[in-house]
Amino acid sequence: MSWEIPLTDIVFDEDDLAAVGDCLRSGWLTMGPRTKAFEAAVAADRGRRHAVAVSSGTAALHLTCAALELGAGDEVIVPSFTFLASVNAPRYVGATPVLCDVVSPHAPLIDVEDVRARITPRTRAVIAVHMLGYPAAMGELRALCAEHGLTLIEDAAQGFGVDAPHGDVACLSFFSKKQLAIGEGGMVLTDDERVAERVRLLRSHAMTSGTWDRHTGHQASYDVVGFGFNFRLDEPRAALGLARLPKVPAEIEHRRAMVRAYRERLGAFAMFDEDAVERASHFAYTVLFEDVETRKRVRDALADARIQTTRYPAVHRLTEFARYATALPHSEAAADRHLALPLSAHTTLEQVERVSAVVRAAAAGPS
Amino acid sequence: MSFPQVPVFDLRLDEDDVQAVLDVLRSGWLTLGPRTAEFERAFADHLGARHAVAVSSCTAALHLAYLAAGIGPGDEVIVPAMTFAATAAAVVYCGATPVFAEIGDDLALDPEDVARRITDRTKAVCVVHFAGYPARVRELRALCDAHGLALVEDVAHAPCAGVDGRALGTFGLAGAFSFFSNKVLACGEGGLLATDDDDVAALTRNLRSQGMTSGTWSRHTGETETYDAVGLGFNYRIDEPRAALLLSRLAKLPSGVERRRALTRAYRERLRRVPGVIVPYDDAAVDHSTCYVLPILLEDATRRDPVRRALREGGVQTSVFYPAVHEFTAYRERFGTPSLPRTEYVARAEITLPLYRDMDEALIDRVVGALAEALR
Repeated sequence: MSWEIPLTDIVFDEDDLAAVGDCLRSGWLTMGPRTKAFEAAVAADRGRRHAVAVSSGTAALHLTCAALELGAGDEVIVPSFTFLASVNAPRYVGATPVLCDVVSPHAPLIDVEDVRARITPRTRAVIAVHMLGYPAAMGELRALCAEHGLTLIEDAAQGFGVDAPHGDVACLSFFSKKQLAIGEGGMVLTDDERVAERVRLLRSHAMTSGTWDRHTGHQASYDVVGFGFNFRLDEPRAALGLARLPKVPAEIEHRRAMVRAYRERLGAFAMFDEDAVERASHFAYTVLFEDVETRKRVRDALADARIQTTRYPAVHRLTEFARYATALPHSEAAADRHLALPLSAHTTLEQVERVSAVVRAAAAGPS
Repeated sequence: MSFPQVPVFDLRLDEDDVQAVLDVLRSGWLTLGPRTAEFERAFADHLGARHAVAVSSCTAALHLAYLAAGIGPGDEVIVPAMTFAATAAAVVYCGATPVFAEIGDDLALDPEDVARRITDRTKAVCVVHFAGYPARVRELRALCDAHGLALVEDVAHAPCAGVDGRALGTFGLAGAFSFFSNKVLACGEGGLLATDDDDVAALTRNLRSQGMTSGTWSRHTGETETYDAVGLGFNYRIDEPRAALLLSRLAKLPSGVERRRALTRAYRERLRRVPGVIVPYDDAAVDHSTCYVLPILLEDATRRDPVRRALREGGVQTSVFYPAVHEFTAYRERFGTPSLPRTEYVARAEITLPLYRDMDEALIDRVVGALAEALR
């Protein structure tokens, strides 16, 4: 099927291509000067002391859990309305994910009161997910985590550029649908030097020197001082990220403008409040219907009009995660009743108009 | 910071390789899609394997190969210590124990020593085709079959080599390839799992992308609406720009390997005349190798580090393939230190000399001249 309006769209400028072309022509592809520059640029942009580029958002979350030395017997509280990698991260290191609910189907972000209710003596960390690019309640979560001595991890895989107070560690994704897209990639941001050093070590097999260090004569050999992984980024992707980074703020503003346009036309189905829209970085634009039947009808009508949509399942209802299921009514309602409409840095008002018209007509009732 | 005049490896991409990547970026489709599928088909054909599944690294391919072999807590996997740490680390990811076996003159697993280390807990053997030279893979296959063990091939060094016309990476349950930037076929970070087993291929495809039952591409093309997830998966995906680069480079792989063989022969001719140097393998073996690197051994291992320093001061970068894995701090602390005298000698005596497609005989003269001078 070819979509007339796809869910997302990525357009690279000539200077993005030139950055990648220059890198490839240099012949140096493994972590080196471009990766360092990309890390420094994102750290400065996000106001964090340390940034460590990795192979994916999943790897960022995994290495964060490893760097925090979470393990068997430890519990990590994470919302169920998220991408499943948020929940797998503690599992990779032998810790137990404890799923919590979201505030409401209209604002499907981690519910601070439900987090509080699920804290036990074994709880070590909370993963706050900036789902769909909307900021989690970081101020309240910081206070709660401080009160209980918990580490606050931000899963900002969908939330690059959100306006919110920082947690202890933030995990970014540069997957191809994201605000800053380079294909596959991710990053760990933190002010904690020990966490940054540990992530840096574990992303490349806990080796005490890298290929670039040996190339430039800084190191002759290496030791392996832990059980690390190959979660490295490479130079072409770092070059692309570095070229894209300065353009992201304007692209997020474009996304925000399109979201406002959608909200004017689809107010009856709006999620989140105006303040959240202002502080969000708009990974996706979602609408909420009164029931599953309406959502299905709208989705079918959009597909018939060759307009692509998607929706995000609640993790505890996936086969692999059924063992973690408890009562999570808002997550289930959000997952069942929402639909993500086309949104990218290149969405046009005409597209918003056309999509909105189909949504309104289909939501009104069966034809 | 100082760049070596003669680096240990040097990757040069052709303009059509660069354009293949830029075309993908212009298309705007970056995640697993048609180019990855095309590269996988082409690489499977190149090997004569039923399935090729591209992943994010050789480490990822090894991890998935061990999982496909059913490796878990309490199990043992026999691996060489004369390898990159990933061969053993991926065993640890599965909760299992790497058991290090000794190498032979080919710097690869010695089947007799492997046989001695098999216990009730042994589940698999992983052979590394060192420097691109075929290891004694038929004997290892027979040994594994006799004991009901899975054979995994770490083919990071050997994407274009074989035994009796059969490609390395197709002798066991799975072959794990590397496309790291210093490799014979390089894209930056990347890897691939090859297998003839339909179930292994299906499991690998599932676990490389989070255990999800459908991918972004199939949702884009309208085949599926949403997804389920089964199993503890990972993000071990490669992306389309890297797949496009690999596809462009794959066509040039055989000629690149021929060039490496010619350079290796030129090295061997000159190294023969340098006293104190042992050159592993015989001339005939070169014809069946990818000649990924050029390893030499010093008769007197105590001279290795000073010789490397002298070469570096003369502008020639060298490397060590490899420090022995069982001697790394992390492995000593967790698994103790088995006695592997031959491996330990190689780890102390080995020097990896510069070898890459775009070097010439004049550079080889310079490297060998500097080596002879350093050894005098």
